[in-house]
Amino acid sequence: MIETDGLVHRYGEAAAVDGVSLTVDDGEAVAVVGANGSGKTTLVRHFDALLEPDEGTVRVDGRDVTDDPVYARTRVGMVFQNPRDQFVAGTVGADVAFGPENLGLDRAEIDRRVEAALDAVDMAGRGDERIDRLSGGEQARVAVAGALAMEPDHLVLDEPLVGLDRAARESVLARLDALAAEGTGLVVVTHDLRDLVGLVDRVVGMADGRVALDAETERALDRLDEVGVRDPRC
Amino acid sequence: MLTYEPGDSLAHGLDPRAKLAVQFGLAVAVVAYPTARGFAVGGAVALAALAAGRLSPLSVVRAYWPVFLFLAVGPLVGGAALGEPWFRVGRAVESLRSVARVVPVVFVGAVYVRTTPVRETRAAIQLVVPGKVGRLFGVGVGLVFRLFPVVLSDLRATRRAVHARAGQRRPLRDRVRRILTRGLQRSFLRADRLSLALRARCFAWNPTLPALAFRRRDYPAAALGAALAASPLLGLLP
Repeated sequence: MIETDGLVHRYGEAAAVDGVSLTVDDGEAVAVVGANGSGKTTLVRHFDALLEPDEGTVRVDGRDVTDDPVYARTRVGMVFQNPRDQFVAGTVGADVAFGPENLGLDRAEIDRRVEAALDAVDMAGRGDERIDRLSGGEQARVAVAGALAMEPDHLVLDEPLVGLDRAARESVLARLDALAAEGTGLVVVTHDLRDLVGLVDRVVGMADGRVALDAETERALDRLDEVGVRDPRC
Repeated sequence: MLTYEPGDSLAHGLDPRAKLAVQFGLAVAVVAYPTARGFAVGGAVALAALAAGRLSPLSVVRAYWPVFLFLAVGPLVGGAALGEPWFRVGRAVESLRSVARVVPVVFVGAVYVRTTPVRETRAAIQLVVPGKVGRLFGVGVGLVFRLFPVVLSDLRATRRAVHARAGQRRPLRDRVRRILTRGLQRSFLRADRLSLALRARCFAWNPTLPALAFRRRDYPAAALGAALAASPLLGLLP
């Protein structure tokens, strides 16, 4: 479970996240929506202890992420908006193995995790391929595999469908759907709910760094204009 | 820019320690023997390495052309003089000899980069240089191998962006200034993003590294490296 309590994060004088208290249960699929600059990315980067709160706390399974960032990063996998920002190796297999290697696991366990993660994103047997030769959709899936190899309870995806064509979007969505069905919690940051309505159970809307909307997906659709997001049914 | 490319060549199958031994030995030998025979031996080793990595010399020259350009300018600068005679052939030849020593090392280094995954290099370094120094060196090599091609690609992208809006009409100095300034900004941005990615994935100074196995086929390569490295000792024999 991810919990924030009175979370504040400032860039200079401006509060990008302003007193957010939120709970994401295990296995829950949540969309965090809002206009550009509403604080979505800043909020979710706290789940992984990539930013330090100016005020308030963030806990993963009851543990404060500031005290135990490695625990937070193993339980909450982060997939960046641009997959290329996430890659730290040249080939698919080496990149997916990077996280488990950092955990000091033995080689057999690392190989098992890499295989399982690549299988989960439909990239099995492609570990030797160069990442820079993959299509955008394949790169997005490899980025998800890199996070999955940590075997997290939650996967946080920052605008995972931006820049992808229809086929690539469908491919990524199908993988996310399968992961949600298997019980992996999803937190999807987006400014466009069109493709995600069937995937998420709940929508959290951000405006000016605050939670302006928090409701089940069906109910939230009628109030999206409050957070500057287009109704996907229109 | 040559980077690691998966493959099944002889060089791909060698243990990185054996390949490092050949590189080290060659570097020692070409420095110790700045003679035609030394250059011939260095050239032969470089050609053998290129064949083992299935890499053409032309592709290496294309990939590392700034290095070769820099080396080619050396003898010209070395021979130039401020007074009569304006160019001294003897000095240029001397400089050419020094440059010629470096060429085989560049070729063998290119084969190494092409055929060795970065994390295997890191594992080899940490095995050869134990302790914190090895770890620091291994991480440094890993980061350089990761960042350098990305920074080069950013510089190329900036150059393309300048050309896309008729930037070639501007003076060369202005273009170079723009490309370098933007390249530097993007390099810092890349470094920031890489740092974030490393933290998100629990970067560790002492991760599980790939298991390296020294096999039968590695011994001849390691022996060649050792022989080349020891070759200067021959001169000490009575």
